[in-house]
Amino acid sequence: MRRFAGPVLLAAGLLVAVWLPNGVYTGLAVDLLCWALFAVSVDLLLGYAGLLSFGHAAYWGSSAYATGLLAVHLGLPFPLAVLGGALTAALIAVPVGYLAVKRVGIYFAMVTLAFAQMIYFIANEWRSVTGGENGMQSVPRTLGSVDLSDNYYFYYAALPIVLGGLGLTWRIVHSPFGRVLVAIRDNPARARALGYPVHRYKLAAFVLSAFVAGLGGGLFALAHQFVSLDTLHWTTSGKAVIMVVLGGIGTLWGALFGSSFVVVLEDSLSQADFASPGLITGGVFVLAVLLFRRGLWGTVAAFLRRRF
Amino acid sequence: MTNFLEQTFNGLVSGSFLALLALGLAVIFGLLRVVNFAHGAIYMLGAFGAYVLADELGLPFWAALLAVPVGLAALGMVLERAFIHRLTKLDPLYNFLLTFGLTLILQDLVKARYGVQSSPYAMPSALSGSVDLGLFEFPAYRVFVLGTSIAICVGVWALLTRTRVGMVVRAATERPELTRAFGINVGRWITPVFGFGVALAGLAGVLAAPMRAVNPLMGADLIIVVFAVVVIGGLGSIFGSVAVGFVIGVAQVWAEAYAPESWRALIAQTLPFVLMAVVLLWRPAGLFGREEIA
Amino acid sequence: MKRFATALGAVALLVTACSGGPQSGGDSKLTGGKIVLGVLNDQSAGYSALSGKNSVEAVKMAIEDFKAKYGDKAVTKDIEVVDADHQNKPDVANTKAAEFYDRDGVDVILDVPTSSAALKVADVAKAKKKLYFNIGAATTDLTGKSCNKYTFHYAYDTYMLANGTGKNATENGAKNWYIVYPNYAFGQDMERSFKAAVEKAGGHVVGEDAAPFPSDNFSTYLLKAPTLNPKPDVIGTMQAGADLVNLVKQYNEFKLRDKGVGLSVGLMFLTDIHSLTPAALAGTTYTDAWYWNFDAKNREWADKFKARTGSRPTFAHAANYSAATQYLEAVQAAGTDEADTIVAQLEGKKVDDFFLRNGEIRKADHRVLHDAYLAQVKQPEEVKEDWDYVKILKTIPAAEAFRAPSPDCQMSGA
Repeated sequence: MRRFAGPVLLAAGLLVAVWLPNGVYTGLAVDLLCWALFAVSVDLLLGYAGLLSFGHAAYWGSSAYATGLLAVHLGLPFPLAVLGGALTAALIAVPVGYLAVKRVGIYFAMVTLAFAQMIYFIANEWRSVTGGENGMQSVPRTLGSVDLSDNYYFYYAALPIVLGGLGLTWRIVHSPFGRVLVAIRDNPARARALGYPVHRYKLAAFVLSAFVAGLGGGLFALAHQFVSLDTLHWTTSGKAVIMVVLGGIGTLWGALFGSSFVVVLEDSLSQADFASPGLITGGVFVLAVLLFRRGLWGTVAAFLRRRF
Repeated sequence: MTNFLEQTFNGLVSGSFLALLALGLAVIFGLLRVVNFAHGAIYMLGAFGAYVLADELGLPFWAALLAVPVGLAALGMVLERAFIHRLTKLDPLYNFLLTFGLTLILQDLVKARYGVQSSPYAMPSALSGSVDLGLFEFPAYRVFVLGTSIAICVGVWALLTRTRVGMVVRAATERPELTRAFGINVGRWITPVFGFGVALAGLAGVLAAPMRAVNPLMGADLIIVVFAVVVIGGLGSIFGSVAVGFVIGVAQVWAEAYAPESWRALIAQTLPFVLMAVVLLWRPAGLFGREEIA
Repeated sequence: MKRFATALGAVALLVTACSGGPQSGGDSKLTGGKIVLGVLNDQSAGYSALSGKNSVEAVKMAIEDFKAKYGDKAVTKDIEVVDADHQNKPDVANTKAAEFYDRDGVDVILDVPTSSAALKVADVAKAKKKLYFNIGAATTDLTGKSCNKYTFHYAYDTYMLANGTGKNATENGAKNWYIVYPNYAFGQDMERSFKAAVEKAGGHVVGEDAAPFPSDNFSTYLLKAPTLNPKPDVIGTMQAGADLVNLVKQYNEFKLRDKGVGLSVGLMFLTDIHSLTPAALAGTTYTDAWYWNFDAKNREWADKFKARTGSRPTFAHAANYSAATQYLEAVQAAGTDEADTIVAQLEGKKVDDFFLRNGEIRKADHRVLHDAYLAQVKQPEEVKEDWDYVKILKTIPAAEAFRAPSPDCQMSGA
């Protein structure tokens, strides 16, 4: 029974992904894709390398800006623009990661947070490029002669990139590299004694994670045809962390589940007669940290595993 | 020259808030290994505490200065017992996440009750004048803020070096393994020390109420600068956190006053983070921190 | 690489074909049947007090008054309001605006504070060819490089604020200015317009500084002000929201008014004065788009508003009422809510209601022109009634209050 769980889950997930824009509002469907990548990238670090990045908005946002610039100024077809954005994010992650992996635990979280804030201020200041507070307006999304102005078609055009990003993450996690990461997370001293260059492994994971976050951020820019400073703000980083913890740390399905939960929750709260969305998200989050540390997905999965 | 001294003095006043917040953060971290993300929200609650006491009970600033930190210490102890305590056996990241969640809740609760517009809070009349400091005149309230903050920092230092609990805290902060190896019971100090650290943030909030905008988000961005301060100083070093708090306050004001004109705002804003990067390259454990607790 | 792109496109098309095409969004038949007004604004963050839910209430008042006025002759009795909270986030505004037009059948979107969100919604309105009346945002780009056929800009903008205060305060005797502005797009816009207005009126800017945004410490600039040579008569601050509160509190701490340095504010709402208290701002001048206690006509509406909401209206609330009313009047006159017809109906129209005095909907850039006011915060002892905090020093005629149409505006979407 358990042998089939993985493939069945995968098939079900793919079916949902293909069906999605026919069931929910197309704009929301595209958002779900982007945030899924972002949450997975944070989980790649937190769940498999034990590193809590509280500044991942820096990569999500810088890729959004880079993608926007490539689309606006060079008129690149959108998959290339997204790729360029993600590479930019990975490039920025190199120096930040180099400094950040010198520390672990809470220090790592605070350092990534502080650097992200720095990048936020620079983007605010660099008005000629980023548009500052007004944001970067009218980002085109093109793909040869295909008309992508409708979000419905854009969803299907973006889906392969998202699946590619998720697949890449899955490969990383299940590769020998991923196993070394887990070994470092569980016992850094032993990993070091076994001759693994711990810092270099962490740095590589950090940069890869920034790349995946960048894929999401670039698509997000194109989805809204717009980039705002918000994409770089620390609350955006916090939102990704909430998604991962709610869904369940250390399972990629959990990150997917958590991101969908938060995006749908926020969307429905914004039109409900309720002015305190943070109370709900914060409350659910605190409950998860206190009582369901495996997250929503992890708790359900553990339950099912016991039953079958 | 006078202007330079005036600006420097001014920077010390702004550094007072960073120092008080960093001190509370470091004391809590010392004993609990918890980085309290909610520290900025507690600072905000401190300011709102002063506002509510004045608005609903008509209590003056001086009463708030005493009552609000005490009240928040009690709240802190309840939070510690109810939530944080449950997670101390686990990876410290869980408490970091927990306090992040608490921040969202506290901010939204205050927002729901008092709105996002800043709430009015008047300057205490006894401190609304100016003081002649020899070279220049300065608003009396600012002199009071700086004086209070220095007095608290010195007081806490005396407490840490002259009393038994202080020595336990200091030992646990700077040599955690060794302290436990000596069989010192750190546990029974945890709840009161958490309350104490929270009270310091609350006090900073009360001090901010007359001179800064009192609104639910006033601590949200500040806490990130305080994080940079403690990383630079070394979280394991109480002295380092306080000293760097003052230094950053002064450095930011200098940048705003004297850096090349078109770069001023950016330099002032990014300075704490640039310094942090430099310190991480050069001394990863922070200026005054020790490697083993990193 | 190009082949890859084409292949990807083909896959996308294939998948789309299999799954049956997009759902039908806005149903065009509804357009004739009912009118839907969508209020999209901040209901939980920084601008929720000055606009927020009370703007929705103002729009509801407009609908009721419209129905009462026309009775059975009204074009339809079926008029709805939907509203959403965009939290000042442009991406949320984008999604919600598209949902409004496509899913909820909204005919016109109202309000949308925060320039970045406002500009984004203008893009959406243009793409969907539906109407949009911006009220809450200040950027002149809405009637400049981002202007389009379906977007109208109501109430105020950075030029109106800066020009009104800069020009009039200079003419009233404040010759030397020190300008402090927040270091982001709004602040930069304000600084440029303000400086131009001051200099045109014969004043002189002796110093200007971009302060970090956000900031809780403005003392650097307040210490600097009296040392400038020549000493400024007035500090012109372009800070808004919490930054403004910080600056004003610290301005009072340093007793600059006693040292002969006055204060002039770029953008201030009634709710800002309420939270700072009139005592902290006494004597401060600023430009207001509308004031509730200006005359009997305004007061009458403000009384109705207070009966429903418990507080006095800001100019944004009144402008939402006015915009909803003008839209409904246009539909009534045209007999349809088809967007292009309504645009034609509105363009160049002279309008006059309690908010739009000597109003005109300018055809060239869709700027809605009307009288503005130079206001001054009363001394505490002059305040006789809650919320009655300012006196109007001067009415700035509609023709002077706003800028001439900008050459950047190429009316697109036509």
